[in-house]
Amino acid sequence: MESEFNGLLTLLTFFPLVGVLILLLWRGVSDTQIKWTAIITSAVTLVISVVVLASFRAGDPGLQMVDRAAWIPSWGISYYMGIDGISILMVLLTTIISLLAIISSWSAIETQVKQYYIFMLLLQVGMMGVFLAQDMFLFYVFWEFTLIPMYFLIGIWGGGRRVYAAIKFFLYTMAGSLLMLLAILYMGLQTDPITFAIPDLVAQRATFAGVQNLLFIGFFVAFAIKVPIFPFHSWLPDAHTEAPTAGSVILAGILLKMGTYGLIRFNLPLFPQASADFAPYIAVLAIIGIIYGAIVAFAQQDVKKLVAYSSISHLGFVVLGIFSLTAAGVQGGILQGFNHGISSGALFFIVGILYEQRHTREMKEYGGIWKVMPVFSVLTLIIVLSSMGLPGLNGFVGEFTILLGSMGAATFAPAWIYTAFAVTGVILAAVYLLWMFQRVFLGPVTVEANNKLRDINTRDLFVMCVFLLFVFWVGIAPSGFFNLMDTSVTTLLADMNVPELAQRVATFALLGQ
Amino acid sequence: MNELFNLAPLILVFPIIGVLFNGLVGRRFVDHDRKTGERWSGWFATIMALSAFVVVVLLNLALHANHFHAETVMLWDWIVIPGQGLSIPWAMQIDTLSVAMMLVVTGVGSIIHIYSIGYMHGDPDYSRYFAYLNLFLFFMLILVAGNNYLVLFVGWEGVGLCSYLLIGFWHERLAKDGTMKNANAARKAMIANRVGDAAMILGIILTFWVFGSVEFNHVFEEAIHIFESHEEMVTLVSTNIEMAFSTALFAITVLFLIAATGKSAQLVLHVWLPDAMAGPTPASSLIHAATMVTSGIYLIVRSNVLYELSRALSVHSGTISSSDIVALVGASTALYAGLIAFTQYDIKKVLAYSTVSQLGFMIAAAGMGAYVAAMFHLITHAFFKALLFMGAGSVIHGMEHGHHEVAHGHHGHDDDGFDPQDMRYMGGLRKLMPVTFWTYLVGALALAGIFPFAGFWSKDEILAHANANQGEYGLFLVLFILLALAAVCTAFYMGRQLRMVFWGQPRHEAARHAHESSPIMTFPLVLLAVFGTVAGLFNLPKVLTLEFGWSLTLEHWLEHSIQTFELMEEGILAHVPHTPTSLIVEVAALSLGLALVSMGLAFYVYRDKPKTAADPDPTQKIPGLWSVFGRLPIDSFYMKLLVPWFNRFSAWLGFKFEWSFWHDFFHERVIRDTFVWFADLSANVLDAQGVDGIVNGLGSVTRWLADGIRVSQTGYARTYALSVFLGTVVLLIYFLWPYVMR
Repeated sequence: MESEFNGLLTLLTFFPLVGVLILLLWRGVSDTQIKWTAIITSAVTLVISVVVLASFRAGDPGLQMVDRAAWIPSWGISYYMGIDGISILMVLLTTIISLLAIISSWSAIETQVKQYYIFMLLLQVGMMGVFLAQDMFLFYVFWEFTLIPMYFLIGIWGGGRRVYAAIKFFLYTMAGSLLMLLAILYMGLQTDPITFAIPDLVAQRATFAGVQNLLFIGFFVAFAIKVPIFPFHSWLPDAHTEAPTAGSVILAGILLKMGTYGLIRFNLPLFPQASADFAPYIAVLAIIGIIYGAIVAFAQQDVKKLVAYSSISHLGFVVLGIFSLTAAGVQGGILQGFNHGISSGALFFIVGILYEQRHTREMKEYGGIWKVMPVFSVLTLIIVLSSMGLPGLNGFVGEFTILLGSMGAATFAPAWIYTAFAVTGVILAAVYLLWMFQRVFLGPVTVEANNKLRDINTRDLFVMCVFLLFVFWVGIAPSGFFNLMDTSVTTLLADMNVPELAQRVATFALLGQ
Repeated sequence: MNELFNLAPLILVFPIIGVLFNGLVGRRFVDHDRKTGERWSGWFATIMALSAFVVVVLLNLALHANHFHAETVMLWDWIVIPGQGLSIPWAMQIDTLSVAMMLVVTGVGSIIHIYSIGYMHGDPDYSRYFAYLNLFLFFMLILVAGNNYLVLFVGWEGVGLCSYLLIGFWHERLAKDGTMKNANAARKAMIANRVGDAAMILGIILTFWVFGSVEFNHVFEEAIHIFESHEEMVTLVSTNIEMAFSTALFAITVLFLIAATGKSAQLVLHVWLPDAMAGPTPASSLIHAATMVTSGIYLIVRSNVLYELSRALSVHSGTISSSDIVALVGASTALYAGLIAFTQYDIKKVLAYSTVSQLGFMIAAAGMGAYVAAMFHLITHAFFKALLFMGAGSVIHGMEHGHHEVAHGHHGHDDDGFDPQDMRYMGGLRKLMPVTFWTYLVGALALAGIFPFAGFWSKDEILAHANANQGEYGLFLVLFILLALAAVCTAFYMGRQLRMVFWGQPRHEAARHAHESSPIMTFPLVLLAVFGTVAGLFNLPKVLTLEFGWSLTLEHWLEHSIQTFELMEEGILAHVPHTPTSLIVEVAALSLGLALVSMGLAFYVYRDKPKTAADPDPTQKIPGLWSVFGRLPIDSFYMKLLVPWFNRFSAWLGFKFEWSFWHDFFHERVIRDTFVWFADLSANVLDAQGVDGIVNGLGSVTRWLADGIRVSQTGYARTYALSVFLGTVVLLIYFLWPYVMR
């Protein structure tokens, strides 16, 4: 194995540790100093990720800026980091959302401030590692590592049932990952010489092609729980409602994307035939998720739970796009993952702003907020519309390309039925989001306490403006985003080399004519 | 390319500047100094609208100079995925059709801006209103200017958003029973529209897969190409999937029709439009009468090639074409809404159902292949219906003022039931509001199709078209009868409204004290009344042997962008229904006669009824009218059946299935308790028996780990974690043993 070291990705991943060290060693640090240390650390990490973006060559389908060194040579385990078109958007999403989440915690976190920010920075290391690791063992370490800070973030700074939610989150996710661990070990040990590097395994995928269905399931369950794909979603409403605002923002914004990212990074290239074979069934689960999540969201009384269930619906679109196995669908899926990070992250942030002032998430406690908080309400409306997929905003670009890809999917027979069912999600999104908006923001003020609400402050306004920047940017000029992904995704799909995908049998029948 | 075309983006820039001004600083101006602030806010928005209008006029000149050839103005790439061959630009298509729409939108839009300055006077959210109005212009212009279906769709949903915002403009106003009626109406509009929009997304996607592009010109060229080559099957782009061409065309055009039924309020998605009257009246006038609701007609006219090819293919195979379905939907809506209008007392609701009915005329015309007639009626309707709505606004204003005066003069007057929009409280306003009356009369006569007002010409052209082609297309006779009946209804309910509002004795004190609105509101009425009178000249048919220089102006103008004309000339399409170019005297006489009789009948029936506000309506004697149509059957189906059912299902799914069953029962009882049982078993039975040292060691490590993460008070979590861990360890050892030994 040849060693290679550019250092940039390693710096990007581990830079937050600098902040952690400072916080650990700094005696008598004040709360304000802690917050600024965390913000600056995260901001520098964001700058590093921009440098990575600037050095990224969009036309190159392979891994770039690779850092590779032997770690446990006898087991073929290496420290192997790299970036390509599939991960670049997720990397940027991680640095952006992490910074925003840290800023948004400023006034929300009042106890054990130091530990809180240490966990936030550690979480960022873990998430970045997940998106950059190119060795499966390393990936698994990062993957499991993210659980620990998140577990404490929910369990210590969460709401009323935080302990229950934290444990459920931990165990549910861990249980899924164990199957993945088995699959990873099996694959690595099949190879000769032993290797866990993903590109090497993809190249040698014929050696375990015989059991690829089982291996596929091992990975799939882990990722499906993370996404979550219906019916593996039961941990999500608990974790989301009990997590502190920043925890929910990160959970929805980034952690769920680790699941969809994993599906693209592992399932598609390692087990192409199984992917094609399972695709229609997974697509059905995705579509059930789209509709189920939306209808259940509509029934909620707790606004945070509503947003949580809306995530299930939105992530259904992402999974549908991925398993359409078309360029538009997969790229739309990745972009929609990014979009969902922005829109749902912003929605949780919005709920947090209200919660901080009123300490309730029950929608019936609100109503008429527009009159008291006009600026905040207008900004919220834009985010709601983005989540609804209003064209010109970010959500639409992702949804449209996913739906377009799904209608061209060779393995769905007939594809238009899948698309037609999925498109009902567009209607249902309007149903539950506008209902939420009406109950919270429209009408007269009915609860006296709401008259005292203060409109959005400058710090929160800044955070919202960053969210809005991406809402409009992706909505109006997404071609740059697609450009980053296109080569890698197209190469990935071409390399899958599955006859069904190449031949595209005539299954497109409509109305029986 | 004429340089003036480069100005095209300005039609979007001006309105968006207006949005930013009123959205960001307008409110401060108004709050700071009401009078100057209102002037700044209102006139700034108006000047932005007028500037856009001027640019459109320049584009019009550019088209003339360009010999009516369409030009595309590229802005930038939007959705580009090379790997999928997908490339959708932000680009504008400046051709005669889009410019005709732009003229209506910015022209009528500007007039309504001026009127709003007076109408919204004193409203606490004055600047927000104008921000919305400008935003509407922005999206409406995107809709008509886009050079592809997806950009059109941006405008399409954008105007829907503005409609939502304006219907819910006074969202804090509640109904008497405490429901949020305005906010509910807004939401209803958005959701009904979204049903259509979902169909449109499907249609656009299918268009891409069949034709490889969503740009109008590429799609139409490709469609004509396939049609000419007589290929029965088409291969979807970059796949081997094959699909029958006729099926593809049928599906795309029907999906676009569903989209149009949402936006243009056709059966069975029309239910939102009458409720939309909850918004400020000038907004109803602009959005829910003159412009936005005609988007569906624009969509079908724009896609005329697809609809005509579908007709041609179905003539060949003898099946029903999507064009026929379009025409049937339009004609049935025209009659259905016309009948409901009989039973409405709210002055704006009568107009709203009338709008639904007139939109039905336009849709029917487009479905019959009378694209120019559809556009002609769209334009004349924009003038006279905007006029009627603003006249109604003026009447409501007058009634409110009268009511104020009464409330101040008389004390203890019981006014609980008073509604300034209810025609039963009006009467005799002719003398008190002369300008409003005369202009309203022009609008009503134009709508009723009375010679020589604008509506007569455009409606007659549609009827003449249906009549002229019924020999070749049997269905057209049915359509003709439906539309003629709808025209009779129109004249009747307008007669009823005129009689109830302007003639007779006031039936309420407020009506006795009403007075004329301010000049800023009446001036736009006069302006529109002029258009409502003369707009027929835009497409005057040849009358007998008389032919004027301006005859058929609109047809000559539009034939440059409605490709069906070209296809006919080139002989590619043999079966296209022709619109008569000269006035068919029999049809004109029939429609005029019916309208006059019907209107006269209305004046007779309502001559002295209702005498008081409490009296029943004379038409209640007609069997079935009030008991069926008066009860809004389709609305009732949605609101009394579908919506409650959905609410119940959602509650069941959310609480019973998702929470009680899946979350609590399955996860807590089945999975967790099973593990707890298993953990107890392994801890107390297996562990106690003493396995060998390694397992013990591992066990204590896990126990230590489990303790580490234990924050739970219950203790269950620990055993749960422990058992998961133990299970995995056992599996791992079993699994890895051979490799470790190797």
